[in-house]
Amino acid sequence: MRVYVVDNGGQWTHREWRVLTYLGVESKIVPNTTPFDEIADVDGLVLSGGAPRVGVDASAMGRNGEYIDRADFPVLGICAGHQFMALHLGGDAKPSKVPEFGKARLVVDKHDTLFDGLPGTFDVWESHNDEVAALPPDFERLAHSENCGVQAMRSLKRPLFGVQFHPEVEHTQFGSEIFKNFLKVCEAR
Amino acid sequence: MSSVFDAKGFIEEQVAAIRAAVGEGRAIIACSGGVDSTTAAVLASRALGDRLLGVYVDTGLMRKGETEQVSKTLKSLRVTSKVVHTADTFFGALKGVTDPERKRTIIGEKFIEVFEREAEGFRAGFLVQGTIAPDWIESGGQLRDRIKTHHNVGGLPAVMKLKLVEPLRDLYKDEVRQVARALGVSVSERQPFPGPALAVRCLGEVTPEAVEIVRAACAIVEEEIEAAAKAGAMSLPWQYFAVLLPLKSVGVHGDLRVYGRIVALRAVESVDGMTAAYSRIPHEVLDRISVRITNEVRDVNRVVYDVSNKPPATIEWE
Repeated sequence: MRVYVVDNGGQWTHREWRVLTYLGVESKIVPNTTPFDEIADVDGLVLSGGAPRVGVDASAMGRNGEYIDRADFPVLGICAGHQFMALHLGGDAKPSKVPEFGKARLVVDKHDTLFDGLPGTFDVWESHNDEVAALPPDFERLAHSENCGVQAMRSLKRPLFGVQFHPEVEHTQFGSEIFKNFLKVCEAR
Repeated sequence: MSSVFDAKGFIEEQVAAIRAAVGEGRAIIACSGGVDSTTAAVLASRALGDRLLGVYVDTGLMRKGETEQVSKTLKSLRVTSKVVHTADTFFGALKGVTDPERKRTIIGEKFIEVFEREAEGFRAGFLVQGTIAPDWIESGGQLRDRIKTHHNVGGLPAVMKLKLVEPLRDLYKDEVRQVARALGVSVSERQPFPGPALAVRCLGEVTPEAVEIVRAACAIVEEEIEAAAKAGAMSLPWQYFAVLLPLKSVGVHGDLRVYGRIVALRAVESVDGMTAAYSRIPHEVLDRISVRITNEVRDVNRVVYDVSNKPPATIEWE
């Protein structure tokens, strides 16, 4: 299975590559300016987080929009990738009232797909100034935290997922299980 | 998860890669005595034999007994190496500098000057460094923001005379330790220590006096925490040290008012240095450290404990 990581300039982009590699997936980090045709044959795509503020700095997100529009494979947006996905598909992303840094308590609202087999609540690691303020049409919320309404979401029509927290870092509990659940979706297609 | 990393395979692959990169040429390896550079030194030594020279720079910013310890380690590894004493150069260059990024950049530049000089003497065209993933990630570039300049990345001049060889570039600390264990490197479990050394643990200007204070405080922190861990009172944190703050506070010494320095104690749990949680050190251990630092280290009358995670903080304060 081949799952690439689109680099949006995150501190933990390389961690995403490491987690995927450890899970036995063929992975590669690609710049977010890579033409879609060069990555069209992947089985799944991760859109990394990054320094860009997607609400005001969407141009720094390169071709992420094209990847989301043209993907016939599952896509997982993380942090800025998640916010961009919401904004691009008709939802909204805005500065957080209370930004989260470091440890936060995740509350799972829907256990299917990403959180399959995981507890109802667990510790995750955060690092964000902005957040998803409105879900795009045909998306549902999968998790929230005390200070962030949309910690995870998915499309009801296409295999598109977004998470605000960082499943790729060591301090997030069940991080690799969340990746495994995403890979199951990739494998099923 | 970490069982998936194949240290033996990695060693074979990198020894071959170093050989291919250096060809018939010669190289120097920048050795601080830490896990990363020592592991890189052993890999490079396997690849190049006596066409490799290890260079350890005594910047005057190292911990108590460190230069002697590193010299021993390098000898035991049978890597031909030399120690360059340059404390005056580093203190001179850092005089009056308080900005953490300027400190880091100056230190990086001074390191490279030493390496270029030593390379010329050894007729080496290559510089091997123990750069690991967090070094280049946190140094930033293009889309990625700069969190802090790592001396082995951000201190490099735009035009380098030496060609860089960095076998550990894609690894994190836990993976480097696996490689180190597979190579039989004695310092495989040593706690991380930053390249700019005690300069980034002296907030504000880096003077010989300030370095002396933080050196003494770091030694006490290491002694007490290692003793407590050995006695089973706590587990050994991933990293533990003291930081000298650029602040003063009021205290009382023998019925007299004093206006003294503040030392912060930092200890964290991590796997890869990219995220960290502060360590739950037992109060008895904190107490011993506090009493010893405020009694044994001149000018310090207050100790505070840092309870920040990464993010939002970083592990080192600068």
